[in-house]
Amino acid sequence: MIQRIWRLGRRGCELLEALGRSGQFLLQSAVGVPSREGWYLWLRQMHFVGVLSLAIVLVSGLFIGMVMALQGYTILVDFGAEQALGQMVALSLLRELAPVVAALLFAGRAGSALTAEIGLMKATEQLTSMEMIGVDPLRRVVAPRLWAGFVALPLLTIGFSVVGIYGGYLVGVEWLGVFEGSYWGNMQASVDFVGDVGNGMVKSLVFALVVTWIAVFQGYDLIPTSEGISRATTRTVVYSSLAVLGLDFVLTALMFGEFS
Amino acid sequence: MSDSPFVVVEGLSFSRGDKDIFSGIDLRVPRGKITAIMGPSGTGKTTLLKLIGGQLVPDAGRIWIDGHEVHALSRKALFVLRRRMGMLFQSGALFSDLSVYENVAFPLRVHTNLPGAMIRDVVLMKLQAVGLRGARDLMPAELSGGMARRVALARAIALDPELILYDEPFVGQDPISMGVLVQLIKRLNEALGLTAVVVSHDIKETLSIADYVYVIADGQVMAHGTPTTLDVDDDPRVSQFVHGEPDGPVPFHYPASDFFTDILDSGGRQ
Repeated sequence: MIQRIWRLGRRGCELLEALGRSGQFLLQSAVGVPSREGWYLWLRQMHFVGVLSLAIVLVSGLFIGMVMALQGYTILVDFGAEQALGQMVALSLLRELAPVVAALLFAGRAGSALTAEIGLMKATEQLTSMEMIGVDPLRRVVAPRLWAGFVALPLLTIGFSVVGIYGGYLVGVEWLGVFEGSYWGNMQASVDFVGDVGNGMVKSLVFALVVTWIAVFQGYDLIPTSEGISRATTRTVVYSSLAVLGLDFVLTALMFGEFS
Repeated sequence: MSDSPFVVVEGLSFSRGDKDIFSGIDLRVPRGKITAIMGPSGTGKTTLLKLIGGQLVPDAGRIWIDGHEVHALSRKALFVLRRRMGMLFQSGALFSDLSVYENVAFPLRVHTNLPGAMIRDVVLMKLQAVGLRGARDLMPAELSGGMARRVALARAIALDPELILYDEPFVGQDPISMGVLVQLIKRLNEALGLTAVVVSHDIKETLSIADYVYVIADGQVMAHGTPTTLDVDDDPRVSQFVHGEPDGPVPFHYPASDFFTDILDSGGRQ
């Protein structure tokens, strides 16, 4: 019994210690004025983290928009309300699906890659040798990746929404015959720029911060063995997904709940 | 000041988990000389270099480099101090996304404002010194272990540091490269007055260039002196190590129970 309590206490202490370490890590790497080379490194990472995630995010967005239009139509048509299809697709995407699904895909595609890359650099002593050359790896390796993630995910989320709404249009209007004017008109009338688009982007920014932070910290803090890298990569995807879904509930409650 | 030792280690203790790696060792690395640190495998020689470089924090004791107490410096000041040091890692630790040329150019690009043409000249000079000027366009994955370590050496000396820490510089080198490397380390020290710390198992090569030698075992400095004094040292442990004899007071085996009892008492266990 005592052993169990002791183990629980130790786990708690380790968790707190890791949280402290990750907070310090975020401050040391993300805060600072980038040099000219820093901008170049950031652009390079924008390519790896953002541009290379475009395909998976856009294709997923298209299919999710199409499926929503199909499902929505079959329900709305029973009530003769299929004209509200555009509104339904746009609001679901902007408020919920685009920020959440894009963040989950981003964690799987870019987050795991960031963890594995930084982890392998640690395991092969590249980070240590950089330190010995007098270059801080937090500024040179971690900071560009963090900022690339912060910027790339909200942009990917915008792409996801746009393509998803277009997917809804393809299925709803082009295939199922919903009147085009009501698809776009209802959407325009019901979507509030600040309340829906703005809140969706706030969610996306929060998810970008959390997912990228988890990914780079897991890479930097892992045990430098092949097993350590594999565990950290898994942890990145699991922790980021749980954090995104949990935070989504909290943010939704704050933004759209009764007490907002 | 110029006669004072470049690196001073005082009462250094360090442990990993329950295992004590060092318990109160003292070292002095004289300025402009080559100091060798030797000892059996697993005595923490690489750990000692990492402690000197400020990558690990000791449990007790202090380390000074040119009058600066390494572990009392701020993170920023430590990075500034490291610009005056070079370290050759056992694995080479080249940046895998940069070519050989770019790896050697890296310290020059980040710490100097030299024009591209001058960086090119310096990089080619350093690569020529390690015999790999022709390999400048290769990526680290295309190099053998020995070649990677020679590139890493070129990178470590790119900024002409005042102190170089060599971690097993001779491992994996063929006899020709080995001879060249031994000469190169000696020449860097004589021509530029660099202070060098060499961690190595290769007794013959290391003793041929070292000015002073520390032998470390069981977390303590077992012996120290010039190569000549160590060669005639009476201590059987030192003599066994320096002459590479299998039988002696230093065991070859990691501590274990009796071999025959272990074999007979298998019982399906490991």
